[in-house]
Formats: sequence, C-alpha cells, structure tokens
Amino acid sequence: MLARVANNLFWMGRYIERTEHVARYLSVNYFSSLDAPNEFSQSRQFVLQSLLFMVGDTEKEDKILDEPDVLFDIGLNNEKEYSIINCVKLARENANSARDLISTELYETINKFYHFVLNYCVEDYKKKKLYDFTTNIIEFTAILKAKIRNTLLQDEAFSIIRLGLNLERSIQVIRIINAKYNDILIIKGKQNGQISKNNQSVQHQELLKEHRTDISLEWSTLLKCVESYDMMRRFHKKTPDNINTLDFLILNENCPRSVVNSLAEVAKHIQVLSCEKNIPKNSSIFLVNKIYNEYKYKYIEEIEVDFRTFIEDILKKLVAISKKMEEEYFTY
Amino acid sequence: MDLPLFSSYSYKKTLFDEVFEKDEKIRDMYKTLFKVYSDRSIDDFKSLNEKAKASFFNQGITFQVYGNNETKEKIFPFDLFPRIIDNTEWDHIEKGVLQRSKALNLFLWDVYHDQNIIKAGIVPKEMITSSVNFLEEMVGFDPPGGIYNHISGTDLIKHSDGNYYVLEDNIRCPSGVSYVICNRTALKRALFGIFNQYKIQTVTDYAQNLLEILETVKPEGVDNPTCVVLTPGVFNSAYYEHSYLAKGMGVELVEGRDLFVENDFVYMKTINGPKRVDVIYRRVDDIFIDPDVFNPDSVLGVSGLFSAYLKGHVCLVNAPGTGVADDKAIYTYMPDIIKYYLNEKPILKNVHTYHCSRPDDMKYILENIDNLVIKPVDESGGYGISIGNKLTQEEIEVVKSTIQKHPRKYIAQPIMSLSVHATYIEEEESFESRHVDLRTFTLLGKDKDFILKGGLTRVALKRGNLVVNSSQGGGSKDTWVLKK
Repeated sequence: MLARVANNLFWMGRYIERTEHVARYLSVNYFSSLDAPNEFSQSRQFVLQSLLFMVGDTEKEDKILDEPDVLFDIGLNNEKEYSIINCVKLARENANSARDLISTELYETINKFYHFVLNYCVEDYKKKKLYDFTTNIIEFTAILKAKIRNTLLQDEAFSIIRLGLNLERSIQVIRIINAKYNDILIIKGKQNGQISKNNQSVQHQELLKEHRTDISLEWSTLLKCVESYDMMRRFHKKTPDNINTLDFLILNENCPRSVVNSLAEVAKHIQVLSCEKNIPKNSSIFLVNKIYNEYKYKYIEEIEVDFRTFIEDILKKLVAISKKMEEEYFTY
Repeated sequence: MDLPLFSSYSYKKTLFDEVFEKDEKIRDMYKTLFKVYSDRSIDDFKSLNEKAKASFFNQGITFQVYGNNETKEKIFPFDLFPRIIDNTEWDHIEKGVLQRSKALNLFLWDVYHDQNIIKAGIVPKEMITSSVNFLEEMVGFDPPGGIYNHISGTDLIKHSDGNYYVLEDNIRCPSGVSYVICNRTALKRALFGIFNQYKIQTVTDYAQNLLEILETVKPEGVDNPTCVVLTPGVFNSAYYEHSYLAKGMGVELVEGRDLFVENDFVYMKTINGPKRVDVIYRRVDDIFIDPDVFNPDSVLGVSGLFSAYLKGHVCLVNAPGTGVADDKAIYTYMPDIIKYYLNEKPILKNVHTYHCSRPDDMKYILENIDNLVIKPVDESGGYGISIGNKLTQEEIEVVKSTIQKHPRKYIAQPIMSLSVHATYIEEEESFESRHVDLRTFTLLGKDKDFILKGGLTRVALKRGNLVVNSSQGGGSKDTWVLKK
C-alpha cells in the first residue's frame, strides 16, 4: 500500500470516529440537561460551556453564550475545525484520495453522508432539528463502520483504518470523560457553597442525599455519552459513581468503548503493518504496546487519585504514537 | 406526438433522427421503451430524473467548479433516454474502429522507425516533422509488445445520409469510459424494469480487459507485472475515472510524488518501503511525465521516468509520442494509411477532405464554399475554422483569397450534420431532439484486442447546438448495444 494512501486511510478512520463522538456528546448532553434535577445543571450556559469544553474551544470561556451560535459552531460551521461538517468533509477528502482502495459500498456511504451534512438546513438544525441531525450522524457513522468491517479486504488497508478509528476512539473517550469530570467538579463546587450556608442537621442530611443523586446522574450522563450506560449497569449492577464509572470506561477490557479496549485494538492492528520480527525500542509498535500494557495492569484508584495528571499523561502519549506512526509509515 | 412527455418534440426532416423514422413513426427497437414512457406522467419522470441525479452525487461522480469563495460540486448532465444501437450496426462500428486503431499503431511504428509511408509518397514528410507532437526521443525505440496506442477513443457521428463517419481519433489519453459505466448504473437504478425487455451487451468488463491488455505489454523478464494508474491527482476533472479504473483493475492509483526512479527502474513508495512498478497506465500528458526530459516545471511526473522507459524497464501506456498520429492533418490521410498497412478498404467513412493544395480540389472548394467548412491543418481547439453557410459575401471573398495564398495550410470538408436523439430537457419538462455523437473505446495489446460494446453518447444540450463537449454544456446518455 502506498504510504500517502495509508495516511489518508488512517485519517479517514480518525475523522469518522471523531464525528460520531462529537455528535453523541452534543446530543446526549444537551437532551439530558433539559430535565436535569437541579437548576444549575439545567442551566443553558452550563451545558453550552460543557459542549465547547469537549470540542476544545476555549475562546468563549467565562462569556455569555448564545445557544444557536454554539450549536451551529459544533454542528455546521465550516470555519470551526472541530465542527461535525468539517470532520465529515475531511473524512470524505481522505476517502477520495484512497478511493481506489476502499470498496464502492464504503465510498458511496461516505459520499452520501457528506451530501447529507452539506445539504442540511442550518436554520432547521439550530431551531428544531438537533435531535434529527445528531441521530442521523450517529447512524451514518455506524453504517460506515459496518461497511468497513464487512466490505473491505481485511488486509493492511483495513488495519490502517481500524488503527485510526481506535486511536481516535481512545482519545475522544478520554476527552468526554474529562469534560464530564470537569462538569461534576463545577457542580460539586456549587454544592459545597450551598452546604456551608445550610448547617441545620435535617436539611443538611437531605441536601447531601440530593447532591449524591445529582452527581450520580452526571455519571450516568457520562456513560450515555459513550453509549455504555446499559452495559455498565449490567456489569456493575450499581448506581454509577466515580469509581465504577471510570473503571468501566477506562479499564474494562470487555467494554467496546473503553480506553483499554481501544488500545488493545490499536496494538492488534499495528502488528499487521509491521514486518519486523523484533520490536525496535521507541518504534510506534513499541509505544503502543507499552501504553496498552500500562493500562491493562492498573487499578482505577491509581488513576482516580490524580485525575488531571492521568488525562494529561495519556493524551500526550497518544499524540506521540500518532506522530511516530507518521514518521514510520506515512512519510512519502 | 400523443405522449405528454413528447408534446414539444419537433421532428426535422433534414436531420437523421435516431428514434423516429422519416414518417415520424417510432423505430422498431425503441417501441418497447416508448411503451414504458407512455405509462409515466411528467411528475413521475421528474422524480426519476432527480433520483438519477442523486445516484451520481452518491456515487461521487462529480467535478469541481471553482467559484469566488467556495468550490461547488457538479455532475455531468445525464439523460434518462438511452441510445440504442442494433447489433448489425454495432458490428460495423466495431470492425471499423479496430481497423483504424490497428492501422494507427502500424503507422506510429513506421513513423518512429523506417518511415516507409513517407518514402512511398503517401504521407508528406512535413506532416510528420512539423508536428509538435512528434517526439524525436522515440525514434528507433521499440515499445513493449510493439504497441503505441493501447487505448483509443474514436469519435463517430451519424450524418443525415444515415452513415457513420469518424470525426476524430483520440490516442493520447482518451477519457470518458467511466461515464459509460456509471451511466449504465444510474439508468439501471432509475428504470430497472426496462432492462428485462431488452437484451443489452454489458459494459462492466472494461477494467478487467484493460488490466489484461496492460499485462500483455509488461517489460521483458517480468513474470507478474505490477501495473498502476498514474493520475495528476484529486483535483483533476477526470480523477473519478482514474480511481474507477484503478479500483476496477485492483491496482494502485499513484501520483507522481508516489513514484521515484533509481538506476532506471521505477518504484512506488509503500508503507513497507519501495516496490517496483512495471506498467504505468498514465493519465498525465506527454509533456508532464518527466521533468528531466520534457516540461522542467512539471510536478505531476517523475524524474527519470522517460529514461527508465527507453531502457525497457517500465512500459508507459499509451506510448509517448502518439499525438503525431491523431491530429487533423493525419486524419485526412487515414483512408490511405489503412490501405497502405492493412491492404483493406476503410470500413468507417472519413469525412471527405478537400486539400487546397490539389488543383482539382481547390476548384471544387472555390465553387462550393457555401457548403464547406474550411479548416487550417495545424490548429486545434476549433481555431481558424470558417463555416461556409454562416459567412457573409465579403467574408467568403476573404477566405477565398487566404486559401489561394496559402493552399498548403488549409483543407475543406462538407458541413456534417450530427444525428439527433430524443433527450429529456429539465427546463421544458419534456423530450426534445438534440444532436448526439458517439465515442467508442478500443484496446490494443500484444496479440489481444478489445472493443467496449457500448460507448459514450454525448449530447449537445443547447437547442440547435452541434458542440457536444462537456465544457460547452454537453451531457451524455447510456448507450445500449443490442445482442444478436
């Protein structure tokens, strides 16, 4: 396979996956906030800030946000690098350059997807069709992934796409966890403020109970943002809290969205590309296996104790892997 | 016409109508199609037309139009009314285009070797030496398999006398074959019911045959050749075709930057290092293939490619330098070229050409200038052409004096009328008659040839227009060749 085309396929996979996570976070977070239990997490500003935080837009931090503007930026604004329309465009551009290698069925689906997004009425989207839009996006990405699995020859090209998909998945899941974790910290801050004002014992107990429910609901939302709520309930059979939720989303090897599961996939597919018998130190395959094994053998308490460091560290390592792959496979 | 969809169809007796006979009756082979159309209302047809368009967008068969701020994607207009060619007529076309391609190949070999045809006084020497497409570097070189024009696109028209005439041979990088195939796909999706009622030859076997042809011209000493398609890149208007062909053949689609030459061998850069390339179906023009030899500013080609070719380490398809044989000047000698190399009579007619340099011809031209097209021999792209019946008396006098002053520089041909075919016109919401031509695709390999049974029927969408090129508002039709 041509190095240039391998690069295109890798990024096609990444953009397809990114599109899905942005759309899902947008949809789940927006709609669950509409009937959130307390006034604060129901407030539009809080939700809009969370949406921008997830896509990494820090420009309007601490500013009053306009809902249609934020929705437009994340969904259909061509000028925002992180927007869904931009991700779909880039996925298709990359598919275009590798058009001879992928199946007609896969290419036609990407193309149809692109025209769907391109022709979506912006006004409808901003005012009444957020649900329709995001649901369609999520379904399109599911179809795309089915076409990747079921219509492609499972060779190097397939592995490159799967590698891109899974690397992006691990990064996006971490971003989503980070965004919701951040939301929860803000909510907790507000609650602490309330508690210090009310110290009469009966009320105090009730408030604490209420707060616990509020926080648990935020953990549930996080699980739904990663499409893992039902399976987490099945697995842990407990109300979501910080430990069981993070454990499920980061360290559970059987959860298809967990960070460690995605890393396992990355490790599996990078093996297909490498023809070296002995893994050279500091090669991308070495780095992938190193990080995979690091998380495979970890307790969630080790992560939870210093969550910020975990986020920074893992994102830095994943970016380094992507760069290394570029050097090794995509240079042309 | 009774059918609502044909209410504004105007029949012209002076033109050959592909669908209707002289007495305005529907030709036999179109009758079944007509029955289908008569069941449809205008609204039905409009919605079908929209579906067909969507099919092109979804298949990604589009080209970019660059505007002020944004680029827009457009599709080539496609018509839902197929053109039908019966098998007897097709046999004639097929034999004719193959004969021409073979003769052109022998001519090219001769031109770049002994030049016997010049010595025999059949083609004047200056026709060759003055051509900008003659490549000195190719003289004495034997291309693998002895083939120059592996892929030929022959443009045919049907004149008002009901005969096919060849208008042009294209043997550099003829394009359009992917549209033949996707027109078929789109029509099948829109009007699937009709296909049960006709026995139509397939057009989907082109890529497979192209690959087999490419493999016949592999360099010496190579068992399993690695073939690739070389494209200028995604921004080229024919990129869809390049990727379609690469995918159809299951070979890599490469750009110039994916290839390099080392010790006169060509390699592509893969994720596991260099891989040797043996046959390149290049969709990049001669002057851009190698900056070392041709245009030094070319970023589309590969440094050292031409030298690797001359060493016999890689085969280029079509061969460089074929352009010398498909220009207007050589066209006029085609009947003689066929006779000289194959000792056969031309099967397909050439548009008769009068040479101003021949006294008898000149006499005829001066007397019949109203009915002739006067063309300079060494211009292309339609420059310097005078159409007799569109000129004023003064202009005719100017033309007359010019051709008498420079008789060697001009030729004259009768004004040809392209046949017409019923075509759906969106703005009118009905069928109207429009001029059409036909491009066929012929493949030549070592001991193997193939003619695609079908072709690209191009339509001039503007009323009365004779220009079918897509750049001038032309569309296309699916073309059915009926089985025996």
